[in-house]
Amino acid sequence: MRKSIFLAAALAVVLPGTAAALEPAQVQALLAEQDQRMRQTGDYEARVFIERKEKDKNDQVYEAVVYRRDETDKLVILFLAPKEEAGKGYLRIDKSLFFYDPTVGKWERKTERERIAGTDSRRQDFDESRLAEEYDGKWLGDVKLGRFEAHHLELRAKKGVDVAYPVLQLWIDKENHNLLKRQEFALSGRLMRTQYIPKWVKLWSASKNDHVWVPKEQRIFDEVEKGNSTTIVIRSVNLEPVSDALFTKAWLESKAR
Amino acid sequence: MGIYLLVALRNLLQARRRTFLLGAALSMVAALLVFLLALAQGLSDNMVRYATTVASGHVNVGGFYKLSPGDVAPLLQDASKVREIVRKEVPEAMTIVDRLHGWAKLVSESGSMWTSPTGIDPAEEGQLLSMLELAEERSYRAGGGDARPGDFSKLAEPGHIILFASQAKKLEVGVGDAITVVAETERGATNSADFIVAAVAEDMGMMTQWTAFVTKQALIDIYRTDADTTSKVLVYLDDIGRTDEVLARLQKVLPSYGYTILDHQAAPFWQKIEQLPNEDWTGLRLDLTTWEDEASFLEWVLTAFDGISFFLIAVLLLVIVIGIVNTMFMTVRERTGEVGTLRAIGMGRRRVLAMFLTEALLLGLAASTLGGLVGAALASGLDAAALTIDSDAARMVLLSDTIHLSASARHVLAAVAIFTVVTGLSALYPALRAARMRPVTAIQHVS
Repeated sequence: MRKSIFLAAALAVVLPGTAAALEPAQVQALLAEQDQRMRQTGDYEARVFIERKEKDKNDQVYEAVVYRRDETDKLVILFLAPKEEAGKGYLRIDKSLFFYDPTVGKWERKTERERIAGTDSRRQDFDESRLAEEYDGKWLGDVKLGRFEAHHLELRAKKGVDVAYPVLQLWIDKENHNLLKRQEFALSGRLMRTQYIPKWVKLWSASKNDHVWVPKEQRIFDEVEKGNSTTIVIRSVNLEPVSDALFTKAWLESKAR
Repeated sequence: MGIYLLVALRNLLQARRRTFLLGAALSMVAALLVFLLALAQGLSDNMVRYATTVASGHVNVGGFYKLSPGDVAPLLQDASKVREIVRKEVPEAMTIVDRLHGWAKLVSESGSMWTSPTGIDPAEEGQLLSMLELAEERSYRAGGGDARPGDFSKLAEPGHIILFASQAKKLEVGVGDAITVVAETERGATNSADFIVAAVAEDMGMMTQWTAFVTKQALIDIYRTDADTTSKVLVYLDDIGRTDEVLARLQKVLPSYGYTILDHQAAPFWQKIEQLPNEDWTGLRLDLTTWEDEASFLEWVLTAFDGISFFLIAVLLLVIVIGIVNTMFMTVRERTGEVGTLRAIGMGRRRVLAMFLTEALLLGLAASTLGGLVGAALASGLDAAALTIDSDAARMVLLSDTIHLSASARHVLAAVAIFTVVTGLSALYPALRAARMRPVTAIQHVS
């Protein structure tokens, strides 16, 4: 809570509400605010639906339940649907990501960059936001995005930090500071994905003693393979503590059975 | 001996219809055996051709680098140093090259596919490029003709890529079209590069749909690796038979240069990428393999094919054996009087046995020789016709986009030997029955 008040105060000082250019420090404060808004210090549980649309292919819909304990960097993703994916799951413990496939009954260690269930979504899409920690931001201008006035920012990955996209562009609502749009660029400078976040939900977290902002819907458009897109919908978010037993291989295996 | 042959020949000619029918059955099965052996040899040839050109050298020194236990990349740092060591320790090496392997998405206007782009140095990969054949345009483009556009040597020019026909078909691209390669660097950053298709090569079985060639420098630029980084040093020997000896030598000497070597495993490098994240080490480890290891995943094709062929031939042989036994019993019965007379004038049991066996062996030899030659001719004719395989599944199994059969004299000789022996053994029991007959009984049988 104290951190949020500090950030709000800092932003009040650095964002005087005019169309003036934002200084790098102001941009960094804005990024820190984004991270802070989404950060949950306690546990996190959500039901996630991933819809994958690919050109010339049938649409695929996945349903999963996600458990997170950001304090210890633990993460569990358990797939519930479709039938052939049900029971498969990911578990992150001590910076190692493991995948369990009940059809073979084996655990495999996966790279942190694993594409979740073969879709365009990655572990990061379900994890906490670390924009200020991973990127240096630059203000590009204030623009109109539909009916919203937005800060248009460019973020470049900090030296030595490993991220999937080394360059990002963000559009942040000037009024309520919701992240509206995000574009991700490759090292070559090519635009790879455009993400729209049309719905945010604000939930009270007792452990944080503040609100947590959750992107209720994310629409990700593939800019290289035009026509491909992924929609991630987050429902039934619960910020109450969950059992320690959830973050174990035994729990995932028992759910697979 | 000559008299036995003469008698056997006379008897075979006397029972013309029976001889013809049994001989025809034997010939057909022998022809089938030679045809299947030629097909199996063709499969094996395709596998060796793929393994020793596209996939591997005769011996390979590969590297796996793990930044963290879960992140494995097929990377070998200080490639020039490793090449130098290999050159020194394997003086009999005919050619030493190195290749960089990636894993990337190829994206065209119409589609995308995952593949393993392989970075090569065109200047030193003349052998590989000479083994590739330009594909007919119709094999990958709807409405394409017989022309084989493209130029493999253009790969040396920056921004060019060589695809295989199945990839070009899936991506709906041809020579001169643009595609984008999207990949992740070793540290997980997304990168992309645009390429022009320099040439489309004929497929070499199922694996070439997961291989495309670019220059090593292009791949280094995409993956942002050090310029002296590769994935695998490939060693080609004068004598492929010395592969195991060279592998054993490198396994012995490389640790003395400070390298840690993975336990030898007969599996291709891409299968190991899936297994190695489960091991806790980090840093660089060398992986020494032979061409057979890199193609080991294809052995199931040969094993399955051999199994089906064996079953088919065994069933047909059983039918043939029953036919021969039955025919020989009929022959013995018909000629019981003749046997009695011969025995009465002093012919020994062994000679009677030899007389009937010679007849069967002569039939087996003649029929299987004819059948073997027909099978070999059929196989050679089909191979020369180079018939295109339309089915993707069949292409995958046969490891080629045309039907390839490799018949040889060895196959014909094997078929002749098998069928002659089987015919002789089948006739043994009826011949023994004939030899054991008492002359009086045999003559009375006629009366």
